[in-house]
Amino acid sequence: MTLRLMSRSFMLIAVGKIGLLCTPAPIFAQERECSVPERFYISEPQLTKTPKAIVRGQEVVIVVLGGASTLGSAASKPDLAWPARFAAALAENFPSARVKVVNLAVARQTAKGAAERLEREVIPLKPNLVVWETGTMEAVRGTDIDEFRETLRAGIEDLRTAGIETVLMNMQFSRDSEAVIHFEPYLAAMSQLADVSDVPLFRRHGMMRHWAESGFLDLRVTDTDLRRRVAAKLYGCIGRAMADFVMRGMPALNAPAVKEGSAR
Amino acid sequence: MLRARQQDAKFEPRDNPAPPLVPVDKAHSEEITPAPSSQSVAQRDLRLDFFRGLALFCMFIDHMPDNILARFTIQSVMFADAAEVFIFISGYTAGMVYGRAMERQGFLLSGVRIYHRVWQLYVAHVFLFMMFMATVGFTAGALNNPIYAEEFGAANFLNEPGLAVVKALMLQFQPAFMDILPLYIVLLAALPFVLRGFISRPWVVIIASIALWLAVQFDKRIAVSAYPGPDHVWFFNPFAWQCLFFLGGWLGWRGNRGGVSWLKRRWVFYLAAVVALAGFIIRFSWTLHDLYDPLPVPVSMEFLWPLLSKGDLGILRFANVLAVALLVSRLIHPQAQFLTTRGARPFLICGRNSLHIFCLAILLSVLAHLVLNEFFGGILMQIAVSAVGIAIMISVAALMEWFAAAQQASGRPALRAPVMGGGTRR
Repeated sequence: MTLRLMSRSFMLIAVGKIGLLCTPAPIFAQERECSVPERFYISEPQLTKTPKAIVRGQEVVIVVLGGASTLGSAASKPDLAWPARFAAALAENFPSARVKVVNLAVARQTAKGAAERLEREVIPLKPNLVVWETGTMEAVRGTDIDEFRETLRAGIEDLRTAGIETVLMNMQFSRDSEAVIHFEPYLAAMSQLADVSDVPLFRRHGMMRHWAESGFLDLRVTDTDLRRRVAAKLYGCIGRAMADFVMRGMPALNAPAVKEGSAR
Repeated sequence: MLRARQQDAKFEPRDNPAPPLVPVDKAHSEEITPAPSSQSVAQRDLRLDFFRGLALFCMFIDHMPDNILARFTIQSVMFADAAEVFIFISGYTAGMVYGRAMERQGFLLSGVRIYHRVWQLYVAHVFLFMMFMATVGFTAGALNNPIYAEEFGAANFLNEPGLAVVKALMLQFQPAFMDILPLYIVLLAALPFVLRGFISRPWVVIIASIALWLAVQFDKRIAVSAYPGPDHVWFFNPFAWQCLFFLGGWLGWRGNRGGVSWLKRRWVFYLAAVVALAGFIIRFSWTLHDLYDPLPVPVSMEFLWPLLSKGDLGILRFANVLAVALLVSRLIHPQAQFLTTRGARPFLICGRNSLHIFCLAILLSVLAHLVLNEFFGGILMQIAVSAVGIAIMISVAALMEWFAAAQQASGRPALRAPVMGGGTRR
């Protein structure tokens, strides 16, 4: 534990946030076990339009693009997938909200495949926000990184032109496949792209790693039933973390601890 | 090239006997630029070993997942990274050693020597592939987990391991970390013909090489197909990277005969300094921005991306590595004082045994992934694993040095010569 705390302190020093040496603030006061350290989103830009529309009780459509992990079949029921949990978390935290989350995920879809659907299937739904989970197929198949980045850049640009906000979400973390599948360049490409395109990146890979590291999420269980429960727990955490991520800057939701000392 | 020459002497009796080993610290003040006809032997250019060793350490550090230290390697201060440095120095050394061999021994004999080296690289590639498959086997259990099964199951090699093996033997399957050796293999296989060209028509070869690189920059379809999938290509495009390797080879070959005179002009130096400085300012600003988001950048990454392709060796990466190489060659003497110190020795010995240490670095990267995901431990653990890995690399290199020296001292033909084919000839 000391080791972990120390290393965290180093990280904070490294990012120039010496004032934050205290334990990382949990996102959910009531859900400490799902807590996400601030470093995962401190430098991400905040959404401007969608959270306001949600707080005002306007009708909000959120489209989710992604692959198998967004489809959530590992948890056995669609309403246990993270987009459904995300919608539930929003409804719970903002009872006046009228949010519809549309899950358009398709297993094994590439970024290119998803980008091709934007025009025909996504924009006609007139969403306020698109959460685009991507990168896994590219890393697994070794797609050209420049091409991948360009696909995302153009897609985000199209959405922006249509007045739609975007949140990018990166790959899942696995304890075992990291040495076999080369994720780093794709993670770096997404992080760079999010930075220059000024869209927030939901760092799922880092968060899952953090949860696995803190012992909260056992990604190695072998029992079928247990695996299903772990998947459901994981998706629940991601859904709630996403709700918080999207609603950052809205004082109604955030626990005060989160904002304290934040540079933004 | 003292060591290489000595090995040549053992390995190929037709070579002229090597002179006695000159202690490096006594030799560093001498400026030696041997004429091709002269049989005098250039002292070993320690810069080549040093920077290749440095590139190997950086490569290992950069390959570890989310390693904090990777923010402080070559790639954080210039557009190029360890791969460019490694390929350039390898080209330079190959041009120097085999260029000399070709002029003395003729096309056929030196060609066979080069292909002997190609064979060693190929064997190393197959060895790394075995390691990769072992890792896959070791971690396969994770793929049964439904959280990942659908996503990672898309990796074709898991469904058709037989085909994956064949494709790996054909250099077409290049999973994690296995992309640079195939590049090196094809470049070295083309080297005899390129060297032959250097001897008769150097400018034709150089212009053709640059033209091919340029063609790749404008037409991305010029690539080598890879496994799996119809639109999958080699990560390191050999049609682009050949230019860096052969340009290095040409410089190394010319180095045998006094170097290239126009490169010694003052304006070339200033131009290189400007390029390297601009590269440093822009790239380092990105590094700082990455560490602390509010810091501004003078030039957005977005504008330079089209010129920064790693696979196709974008012009900024290319120009930056050439500029830095020129500065190093002008500012640091081949036997500079600091290269002979104790602190430089780990770099030198790793650079000198680069093929073995390279393979070791790849293997250690894979192990580092496994260790970091098994025990986690954050930044301290990353630093510890990096340090242990580098210590292992240095120890193995030291062992190889000791063994080679012991073999030489006992007067028996150095075992290392046939095994290594000359550690310097990469």
